[in-house]
Amino acid sequence: MTQAESILVIGAGIAGMKASLMLAGPARKVYLVERLPIIGGKTIKNEESFPNMECSTCMVAPIQQAVLQNPHIETLTYSAVESIEGSAGDFSVSVRIKARYVSLEACIGCGMCFEVCPVTLPNEWEESLIEKKAIYVPCSGSLPNVPVIDSERCLKLNGTEECNLCVESCAFEAINLEDEDRLLELKVGALILATGSETFDLSALPGLGYGALPGVYSPMEFERLFASNGPTMGEITLRGSGAVPDRVAIVHCAGREEQGYCSGICCMYSFKFVRFLKHKLPDVQVFNIHSDVCVPGKNYEDFFRSVNGGDTEMLFTSSIADVHVSGTDSGLRVAYPDGGGVTADLEVDMVILAAAIIPAPLTARLAELAGVELDDSGFIRTSLDGSGSMETSRAGIFTAGTVEGPKDIQSTVIQAESAAGQVAFLMSSMADLTERDPSGKSVKS
Amino acid sequence: MSETGTGKTEMTARVGVYLCECGPNIAGKIDLDKVMADILSESDRYRNVELVIRRYGFLCSGPGKQYLEDEIKENGLTHLVVAACSPRDHDSTFMEVCSRTDLNPYLYRIVNIREQCSWVITDPEEATERAATYIRGSISRVLRQSSLFEKPLEINPDAVVIGGGAAGMEAALALSSDLRRVFLVEKSASLGGGCGITMPQEKAVIEDPNVDIYLETQMSSVIGFLGNFEIGLKSADGKDEEITAGAIILAIGSDYSDPQESGRISFSESDEVHILAEAERTLEAAGDLKLRDGTMPETIAVVHCVGREEQGYCSGVCCSSSLKLAAAIRRLSPETAVTSVYRDLCLPGADGENVLRMARESGVELIRTKGTSLSGMELDLEKMDGTSEKRSFDMIIPAAAIVPAADTVSLAEMLRIPLDEHGFFKEAHRMTDPAGTTTEGVFIAGTAHGPMSVMSSMRFARACAGQVLTRLVPGERIVPEVKVTEILEAYCTGCGNCLDVCVYGAIYADTDRGISVVNEAVCRGCGNCFASCPSGALRTRHFTNEQIFREVDEALR
Amino acid sequence: MAAVLPVGSDLSGAMNRFLKTILEKDIVDAVLMPMKVPSGDSFAWIIMSDSSIVDDAEAMAPVMPVQGARALRSLTRKGEGSIRVLALMRPCEIRAAIELSKLGQVKTENLILAAYDCPGAVPMDSFVSDPSSGEDLFRKMLAGEDVSAGEVKPSCTSCVEFSMTDADLHFGHFGLGGTEVLLIPGSPKGMEILEALELPADRETSIWDEAVRKRREKQVASRDAAFEETGENIRGVQGMLNVFADCISCRNCRAACPICYCRLCHFESETAKQDPNSRLDSAVTRGGISLPADRMLFHTGRMTHMSLSCVSCGQCSDACPADIPVAQVFSFVADRTQKAFEYSAGRNDGDPLPLRSFMKSELSGIHEMVSDAEPGGHAHE
Repeated sequence: MTQAESILVIGAGIAGMKASLMLAGPARKVYLVERLPIIGGKTIKNEESFPNMECSTCMVAPIQQAVLQNPHIETLTYSAVESIEGSAGDFSVSVRIKARYVSLEACIGCGMCFEVCPVTLPNEWEESLIEKKAIYVPCSGSLPNVPVIDSERCLKLNGTEECNLCVESCAFEAINLEDEDRLLELKVGALILATGSETFDLSALPGLGYGALPGVYSPMEFERLFASNGPTMGEITLRGSGAVPDRVAIVHCAGREEQGYCSGICCMYSFKFVRFLKHKLPDVQVFNIHSDVCVPGKNYEDFFRSVNGGDTEMLFTSSIADVHVSGTDSGLRVAYPDGGGVTADLEVDMVILAAAIIPAPLTARLAELAGVELDDSGFIRTSLDGSGSMETSRAGIFTAGTVEGPKDIQSTVIQAESAAGQVAFLMSSMADLTERDPSGKSVKS
Repeated sequence: MSETGTGKTEMTARVGVYLCECGPNIAGKIDLDKVMADILSESDRYRNVELVIRRYGFLCSGPGKQYLEDEIKENGLTHLVVAACSPRDHDSTFMEVCSRTDLNPYLYRIVNIREQCSWVITDPEEATERAATYIRGSISRVLRQSSLFEKPLEINPDAVVIGGGAAGMEAALALSSDLRRVFLVEKSASLGGGCGITMPQEKAVIEDPNVDIYLETQMSSVIGFLGNFEIGLKSADGKDEEITAGAIILAIGSDYSDPQESGRISFSESDEVHILAEAERTLEAAGDLKLRDGTMPETIAVVHCVGREEQGYCSGVCCSSSLKLAAAIRRLSPETAVTSVYRDLCLPGADGENVLRMARESGVELIRTKGTSLSGMELDLEKMDGTSEKRSFDMIIPAAAIVPAADTVSLAEMLRIPLDEHGFFKEAHRMTDPAGTTTEGVFIAGTAHGPMSVMSSMRFARACAGQVLTRLVPGERIVPEVKVTEILEAYCTGCGNCLDVCVYGAIYADTDRGISVVNEAVCRGCGNCFASCPSGALRTRHFTNEQIFREVDEALR
Repeated sequence: MAAVLPVGSDLSGAMNRFLKTILEKDIVDAVLMPMKVPSGDSFAWIIMSDSSIVDDAEAMAPVMPVQGARALRSLTRKGEGSIRVLALMRPCEIRAAIELSKLGQVKTENLILAAYDCPGAVPMDSFVSDPSSGEDLFRKMLAGEDVSAGEVKPSCTSCVEFSMTDADLHFGHFGLGGTEVLLIPGSPKGMEILEALELPADRETSIWDEAVRKRREKQVASRDAAFEETGENIRGVQGMLNVFADCISCRNCRAACPICYCRLCHFESETAKQDPNSRLDSAVTRGGISLPADRMLFHTGRMTHMSLSCVSCGQCSDACPADIPVAQVFSFVADRTQKAFEYSAGRNDGDPLPLRSFMKSELSGIHEMVSDAEPGGHAHE
């Protein structure tokens, strides 16, 4: 494959997977690099996604399978891009494929090795609500269904002791503790950056009690709580006590003031949470503390209306930044300035914070590596010419999804399709224009 | 050969049944040896059938696939049943193995004895019995399957874009190259659409040699399918032309709701009430917003969310446009007091925040209300604290909702795509395929899809272009679905049940013969039509009544 | 509002003359009416363009040997034809024709559908065995005299659609003392006929409306009583099996039914043929099965296919050689299935066939209906 026929996609969430599937074919090879041991991105962490309330894994699984089975997509999980050199049509990229210590070919995903591993540590994929072993897959239903070993925590790999329990438990000889990182040098014609985003770090808002008060949850924690393959198998029980909440407050716009923008999807996921709560706990009382309800587009208002008034009580606050959560003897208290400017008090058992969407921690480093500009909020900048282009400030490097800014799944897919189209266009025009010298280096004609 | 019973010489069918152990996943629960023995013990039930039954470790592995391939060839298998995992996982894997041999891939069947058996049934005896049941059913089924052959079709890489607004022009530019032609069809006499401002793409589109622009022209007819559409165009002066293309992008834009369809809003023609789009155009053209008598208004109210309740959705862009207009008016005429009245401010993104800041800094008065009604030139504002305030203004600018364009209905009928509950074109899947429709090869861009900003319209346009660029590659061929439905003329009465239930528009009425006919290139084999026919005049290939009923009979025996 | 046709002493004769006039004036090219067969014990549908033949036909026949919609189906199956035909039939026949037009089997562009107030019909077997008594009985029914319910075709005692004002033209004569007939136009086509005949539609219809209302009240009560009895008889699987125990699988009910339009019935198709070993296995598993094996399945299958269009004309019972009350059962089921979709078979109001149109709102309430139907049952979610 020559440069003009290879593409690198960084990030195997829905944007990266969609773009890869569109581009991959007999004439084009796609390298799909993913930092985590599994593909699927953030969407698979939700039990259901708005507005369809479709089972996210059911929606995404066919896409994941199509990616893994496509002979023209080489999926490199547990990998990271280390350098990007060159220009449009002619990039040199080095990728580090981290040592997994488990063979992707031999492992059948039976899980025997998890049982015997003596090391436990918090499972970050499950928002640390549950623990994992040093040899682990992030969740049940992981794809690829092959574990990795955390080399820092594994007793053998970090030199603590000669533990071989997992190796001995494996009937398929799939574990190799001598495994090493591999460095792959790739030549590609274009790149698509689709590394996603993060939710606001709520510990930066002490007034909302996250971290200090166990009954206060981040949105991702609540997603995992409700998930049927999650830490509680979908049962909504409070951290610590295990009790079932009777009254839940969802506080909108956590982090909006700090970030300086509205993330556009948090109202929707807040209403989704209302549906989750009422589904599992039909008698629970839910309150949404909000200022502006942002539900743009033809698909969203119906969803809002379906919960408004029946399933939840919408409590308007004149100042979202002055909402305060504190602990009481029996639970939590949410204080907020109401429509008349008076501070109202709400006693609840559980608080879920709707956090803003922010750039992922590694975005800045990726931008530096790729030599692309960020906007003032730290997301990757596109459409510098005022068109709908998904090209970044560096020719030949495109972007798609929430790494470009907060957005919903529909917009993510639209961007992935746009970026893929631009890459396809670029490749076909490159193929016409460039010639190659014997070493494969392009010589523009 | 299937059982014929016609007295002719019957060939013996050699059915290979391969049970995958899948490590402990299957073999750990199901007694595969017992399954094989049970099935073999009854093999005389099948007339003229020889059974070859084997078990193997991992059929999906490299060596496993090679093993299967060798087995098919060495045993001269005429049919194949693979008892393994979900078809989602490996149906295509084993079909690919068949295609390496003389065995037609459609004379094979995968049986799920993992997800649907071993993984969900706790009692091993029950699981073993169930596995045998499923496999026996599949043997019965596969014997009634027929060879099917994929037929690649040549495609036309050209694209037709209906609508020359922001979305249409962006799509045309994204597609333009010397590898394909783009036909840009616009109903009015000029490009630009509903934007109200001149888009920079207009010049580029007009000068682009790969884009053929048809002004004052509309699409009058369309037949065909992805890669092969025949499109009739009709110009305003009655001239007809036919063009061919491989894809159609609908970028017909939208309209604005009538503010007065809300019972809360009423005004007369003589009142100084101008909807937002109109005010924007006037401001751009004239540089200011004067009253009809030529004087400047002292007070202007911009009312958000007009039509939101009636239409049932938030149009998403009006808060931003309204505040931009409010700020612009303040900058151009600082003596005019501008008040923005809204319920929720929908301003996502950094751009949204900038607009809000701009409005505040320029001195726009922002009032949040629970509800607002208008009578003549007086607004009745229901404030958040429950109090009510009446205020009159010299000029009132309601931001009306974005509603479907009038042509949406006729185009949807012409293209046989459904409309959503709000009357916009319905996308194939709201989340994973928003630019596509149920008719392959027809895409939606811009506000024809639903209310959205200019930037989103352009992104949608590029997404449509992306689909065309990656799927209609000049020189490549596409392979349409082979498991499609066919209609048997002898039994069809032309009642049209199937036609009505086909969501892909793949069935048409042949009025000469008085029957319905399936366009196999458009058919996706979903089977809706099959279920709707009382006559059994439809056969869905690979899913015939015979195959399914006999599988069920055998399994329930 | 309606036009008026003076009757003189003979209602049927007046209607005949009306049709003759229409033919003579070239308002239509042909009329379709019943005519007594030479042997005198039945009637056949005759399409005639020669107005002199109309004298030999009878506008309202005492029996319904062939459902009129079947005659129309055989005429227009392949297209609308170029000549204009007026078909004069019972309301249930017109309604069946309208259902068939939704199914593409009857093309109505050049058809004028005319109905009349139907007092019911005489059962075929009793008419054939004694035609003159049958004709006497029908005369009494037309005159509105009391007749014993047992003498009338059973479906007719439960019929609530005996008047059909959404036919193109309807002859309304109930309650008018036999001296005049109202010509009620139900469509622009009907109006055109009246205009061509220069018959002004200026008579108000309140007397007739009232007579129809009163009769409908009685019929509804009669139907509800019949439904209650039928409902009890067919309750549960055993109930159905009992009612259809005498069935000889002749398929006459299907042949007589106007709605059964399939060229190849599912139950005669390849799928319905079972492997002998499978049959033997069933016999072993259940202890024994009756042959031919799909006796009951044929009926429930036919219900599934046609009950949404069933117009309760009763031909199926008439045709059954084993005297099974097929029509009572099918009518009962059709009433409930049509109600579930808020659909009324035979109406020409633009309501699409329920099976072809998907409305989410219709999904709720289905499981309540099922639970109501099961004795002591509860709905499965």
